[in-house]
Amino acid sequence: MILDVKKLEAGYGKLRVLDGISLSVGKESVGLFGPNGAGKTTIINAIMGIVKPWGGTIEFEGTRMEGMATHLVARAGIALVPQERELFPGMSVADNLELGAAWVPRGKPIMARQLETVLELFPILKERYRQYVGTMSGGQQRMVAIGRALMANPALLILDEPSLGLQPSIVAEVFDRLALLKKDISILVTEQNVRESLRAIDRGYVIENGAVVLEDTAAGLAVNPHVVSAYLGI
Amino acid sequence: MAIKRRTAILVALGIVAAVVVALWKPTVLIYGMQSAGLYAAIAIPMGLVLGIVHIVNLAHGEFMMVAAYASYFACTASGMDPLLAVLPAAAVTAGFGLLVYKLTIRRALKSPELNQLILTFGLAITFSQGVNLLFSSQTRKISLEYVSASLTIGELSFGVWPFVFVFVAGAMAYGLKLFLTRTTTGKAALAVGQNPRGAAIVGIDVDRTYGLVFALATALIGGMGALFLTRSAIFPGVGGPFTMKSFSLVAMAGIGNIPGILGASVLLGLSEALMRAFRGLRGWADIIFFVLIMAVILGRSIKGRKS
Ligand SMILES: Nc1ncnc2c1ncn2[C@@H]1O[C@H](COP(=O)(O)OP(=O)(O)OP(=O)(O)O)[C@@H](O)[C@H]1O
Ligand SMILES: [Mg+2]
Repeated sequence: MILDVKKLEAGYGKLRVLDGISLSVGKESVGLFGPNGAGKTTIINAIMGIVKPWGGTIEFEGTRMEGMATHLVARAGIALVPQERELFPGMSVADNLELGAAWVPRGKPIMARQLETVLELFPILKERYRQYVGTMSGGQQRMVAIGRALMANPALLILDEPSLGLQPSIVAEVFDRLALLKKDISILVTEQNVRESLRAIDRGYVIENGAVVLEDTAAGLAVNPHVVSAYLGI
Repeated sequence: MAIKRRTAILVALGIVAAVVVALWKPTVLIYGMQSAGLYAAIAIPMGLVLGIVHIVNLAHGEFMMVAAYASYFACTASGMDPLLAVLPAAAVTAGFGLLVYKLTIRRALKSPELNQLILTFGLAITFSQGVNLLFSSQTRKISLEYVSASLTIGELSFGVWPFVFVFVAGAMAYGLKLFLTRTTTGKAALAVGQNPRGAAIVGIDVDRTYGLVFALATALIGGMGALFLTRSAIFPGVGGPFTMKSFSLVAMAGIGNIPGILGASVLLGLSEALMRAFRGLRGWADIIFFVLIMAVILGRSIKGRKS
């Protein structure tokens, strides 16, 4: 297992959000689905050390990670594309991408190669290479955020709603690329766009009210009556 | 972008003021630029801390005062020239600044801004009263030959030494710009200033960066403390007005805008020198900067209401 989460509990102040979540990611691509407010982002924030877990364990490549500082989680090899992007608005695309790799031991030595990959994946970033990220459109910023995470050459790539604000053709392309990437990188992705993302993942969990209510392969989820009625719609 | 426009406006105003004044009263230009240099060199480190750590350090001028006292005693005991004390003072003050940061400011980073202001204000009082208790309120001065060097052009005669602060301010602004935009550590600092959470996500140690930036700023102000001895006598309250002026200049320039601090300093320095040039207005010189601030803030709020 690359990532092994067991009985994770977390919340904000007195509000309990995660009620004993267990999930794992191997050399594969895993989806997290669920309604707004289910706790998907909170799971990710707990893994990244952005919120402190109340209980449970998080193991990454055999090392216990729960409660570890965010920058150390990143240096250990987990890259995040946050739901809110969290870019550096007053810096150029070039600097944002460079900073994705500069502080991560896995990314720094192969920065030039990763940059080529990212610019090939998102040609618009090459055109806007010197533009301040704060002046770019939401969708373009999403591409910078994905690119910045890839620059780290992560062992585990976590994407929180990567398709948010992207036009459908780009969404399809992003998921195609993610499907290719999963050969080398483990992926954990949350997505409202369940239909599109099922193409790119191997397995998925459905989270409701802070607990895992369903776990299955992509093919299994696609035909599950609960998933079909609640998330795929007709 | 708003910051770029504001810088351009401040710089343009500064240049226009300088040209008008140069033609009309050259001494105003000379003395104005000299104090502008001093103001900017002291304000820039405060701007650095505000821009990246997001703390208004009301003990900023007092850090300089403490460094000036330390340099004064080192120089008078050893007969060393204050200029030779600049680098050691920078190093020692950086260490002192880091200690103060770790013991106090770091703990208040997530507190409401008012608490942070009270904390740094408390530090300012502690520093000035501490120095007062230890060394009395007596003014102290080091006499130096070279600072009285003067230049005569036609009928005009003026001291040249204070121009050193113009170069120091320029070098500081340029050096910081290079550091923040060209080095990996500097870029990380800039990133932390713009989005600490995003910075942590890419593996930057935010806490360490804050400490580093605070130490860098106190190093700069520490060096200025030694250099300040070449320009002025010192006493425990000497730092206070510089805290106020630095804060005002940083506020005029806008957060994170170091070139803007240069422009605002020129505006302030020239305005003060202009007031001093008229016998009847001399007493108003210290008030002019409040007037400038109010004008800037008023202008900004009017513009804000329009858009
Ligand atoms: N910073 C916060 N402080 C307090 N409560 C929070 C905070 N962030 C999230 N919550 C609460 O935690 C719960 C889960 O939120 P979370 O963001 O994890 O949901 P999500 O599954 O990612 O939803 P979405 O699909 O809308 O992104 C929600 O009830 C939310 O109100
Ligand atoms: Mg979410």
